[in-house]
Amino acid sequence: MKKFVVILLLAVMGYYISAIFFDIGFGNSHLVEGISPVKDAYLEETVNTLSVANTVTSIVVNFRGFDTLGEVTVLFLAVTALGSILYKKRHQAGDRSVLFSASKIVTSGSKLLFPAIVLLGAYVFIHGHLSPGGGFQGGVIIATGFLLMLLAYENFTVGHNALSVIESLAGITFAGVGMWGLIYGGSFLENFLPVGTLNDLFSGGVIPIIYIAVGFKVAAELTGVIYTVLHEKG
Amino acid sequence: MEDTLFKLLDYGIYGTAVLVILVGLYGALVKRSLLKIVISLSVIDSGINLLLVAIGYLKGGTAPIFSPGYLENPKVMVDPIPQALVLTAIVIGFGVTAVALSLVIRLYRHHHTLHIDEIKNLKW
Amino acid sequence: MVGTPVLFVAIPLLAAFLIPLFGMIWKESVRILPGIVLAYLLVLAINLMNYVMVNGPIVEVIAGWAPPLGINLIFSPFSGFLVTLMVFLGLIVWIYSYRFKRNVDFEPAKKYFILLMMLITGSVGMVLTGDIFNLFVFIEITSISAYALTAFYTGRNSAEASFKYLMHGSLASAFLLIAIMIIYSQLGTLNMADIGSKMHLMKPAFKISAIILLFTALGIEAEIFPLNGWAPDAYAEAPGPVGAAFAGIVVKAAIYASIRVIYTLFDLSGAYDLLIIIGMITLIIAETAAIRQEKLKRMLAYSSIGQMGLVMVAFGIGTEEGVFAALFLMFNHAIIKSLLFLSGSYLVYNSKDKLIKEVNGIGKFLPITSFLFVLGAFAIVGLPPFAGFWSKLSVLSAAADSNMLLIIALVLIVSIIEIVYYMRVVNRIYFFKKDETVSSQRPTFNALIAMLTLGAIVLIVGFYPDAITGFLHRASADLMDKAGYINDVLTLN
Repeated sequence: MKKFVVILLLAVMGYYISAIFFDIGFGNSHLVEGISPVKDAYLEETVNTLSVANTVTSIVVNFRGFDTLGEVTVLFLAVTALGSILYKKRHQAGDRSVLFSASKIVTSGSKLLFPAIVLLGAYVFIHGHLSPGGGFQGGVIIATGFLLMLLAYENFTVGHNALSVIESLAGITFAGVGMWGLIYGGSFLENFLPVGTLNDLFSGGVIPIIYIAVGFKVAAELTGVIYTVLHEKG
Repeated sequence: MEDTLFKLLDYGIYGTAVLVILVGLYGALVKRSLLKIVISLSVIDSGINLLLVAIGYLKGGTAPIFSPGYLENPKVMVDPIPQALVLTAIVIGFGVTAVALSLVIRLYRHHHTLHIDEIKNLKW
Repeated sequence: MVGTPVLFVAIPLLAAFLIPLFGMIWKESVRILPGIVLAYLLVLAINLMNYVMVNGPIVEVIAGWAPPLGINLIFSPFSGFLVTLMVFLGLIVWIYSYRFKRNVDFEPAKKYFILLMMLITGSVGMVLTGDIFNLFVFIEITSISAYALTAFYTGRNSAEASFKYLMHGSLASAFLLIAIMIIYSQLGTLNMADIGSKMHLMKPAFKISAIILLFTALGIEAEIFPLNGWAPDAYAEAPGPVGAAFAGIVVKAAIYASIRVIYTLFDLSGAYDLLIIIGMITLIIAETAAIRQEKLKRMLAYSSIGQMGLVMVAFGIGTEEGVFAALFLMFNHAIIKSLLFLSGSYLVYNSKDKLIKEVNGIGKFLPITSFLFVLGAFAIVGLPPFAGFWSKLSVLSAAADSNMLLIIALVLIVSIIEIVYYMRVVNRIYFFKKDETVSSQRPTFNALIAMLTLGAIVLIVGFYPDAITGFLHRASADLMDKAGYINDVLTLN
């Protein structure tokens, strides 16, 4: 009975929401008449003022950088909440819970793949302003490499304190760069370094610096999350 | 020919995204196992991100990246704002899923079951 | 001026990243650093409030791009008043919870203070922001801190309450994202003032869908019936000071967001009637549910939900006196309900189930705490000469000016119901015999200071309400002035 009522309600909701989106149309320009949308201004300012090739990077770090600061905080809070909810006193802490050891292919292959994965992740977040990618994407790739090593070897450890220190330092870099902009420029997160030319590695002012800090932070946090959950015995 | 293909894509993409959201909502409301509820919440997030990216597409558009050699033959660029919003939304969805799974682990520690009917201690 | 509005968010974030590093060097710094940050923010808030009352709203841009390209923060008399109230309550909660439970290890204490500071920062950010997607990000910051703080104690029930809260909160953020999508696809901008100025160009079908989705999403956070299933469990299972923070800080920010959406973003006149109807239903159902409760904190939670329903009714009246009455109610409810939660925590400190039956005769053993609880109970019911009397009077006069007699009748009936269940507890505290199996716990020195400060404010506002009515009049005039808001933001260069 309950399933029937739920399906009915969802069908009604789905009908109304899809009617709205079909009306909007896919691929058309669906803004109402007479509005100059914000995205044209973004596309123009990216090339002329900021000299950053990847528009999405310049939006995420510079135009809407406050949202990125909030998002980095959400990740930090998620790791803190995870540690707080799963807290166990010293004498109850367990070791790794291992069901069965990994096979020969996994153990030998992961040793070869791990440096390559870390290199790919570092490349992605260093070149975030020139090609598709950025801090978040690169950090996740590096964390995947650590996950592979943690699954393959039982005694592979990452220092918990080291991860915490990297995370805090990267966060302080981001907020500190913003405060520096406030003190010397006039507004929070303003660009105060000289912008180079388009498509150079050192273009865009503070944008690559912030994105590299974000890359380190995301890699450290995701590895910390995997590590905390893997040590849950019982 | 191209027009009917686009009509199909039009209904197809938005319809698929809304269907994914509805499947996730059904799972979150009806299922009785804690792990399935958390997976349904994650499915809802995926559906919403898909819908958000689909809004930004423009016909015949290309990625909003000014690679070398772009300025010689400029084309229409798709909307970069929904892509930036989706970046933020994916990370936030990951954070909430991580907290939800840790709560499931703690509930399992105490009650040794994942079935929601046996955990209802807090009533009216 | 000692600073700008962005410091309300930037300084706590910097402190939150620094606390794990300082904690490795000196263990007490984990408890002290949030207090220093909150005290500085209170000084900043009072300073900015004085400036704004004379010179008009402060609009600050982030990253140097003027709106609508960039994000902006707004510190106007309305939002500034709420920010000052929230930061003050945050400082009180910090003073109270400095050494609340004796046997907490270092790791959970560090995480508790970081999460508490982020809860306050997220709510302050929700009130200050001028951009819809930024509002979503701050709602998520507040929600994740709230989920973790609800599950802080390792008893059996706190994880279940937190999971219920998490499910409702996830649905809220999903609906909020769909509403943002609909608005963005039509109007092409995410700035609140820009949306307000272009709203008349949107098709009515889209407008109605967007406002229903937005109101549902923000209503889950603001505990409106029927979306408040998570609230009584979360308030009852969270630690005492965290319950006070929920009632006084988080709910106020959510109500601010929904009011800003209805008053400034949309121009539908039917939305005010919607507020009145939903507010009245919430009020009736929550107050009648509160009579049947047996646990002290659940009773206080249902009472809090009912008061929020009354605030919604007052906002729905739509005139400037209605807004003034609603703001006065919000101020009084924040102070008095926090006092009730903080003193109520000590009344049931050592009991396992926190039942009302266990406060019998505790008036002799904890004299100051019991007196403060009774003071709070009298004030919230609306007895003169305490603070709650003036706010209920202003609601009644605003309703009478608009000829809404049903609201007057309802408020009077509900006040009688409130007197019934509060006086039951007061009766048990003073006139019953003490149960020998329950031991009482004396409050710590800083907890006493926190509670006495709140009690003093209740008495001061009760005897001399003009202390804050000046701020409230400016704040309500500022909310009704939609054209002024849009003008201040969009003509920035």
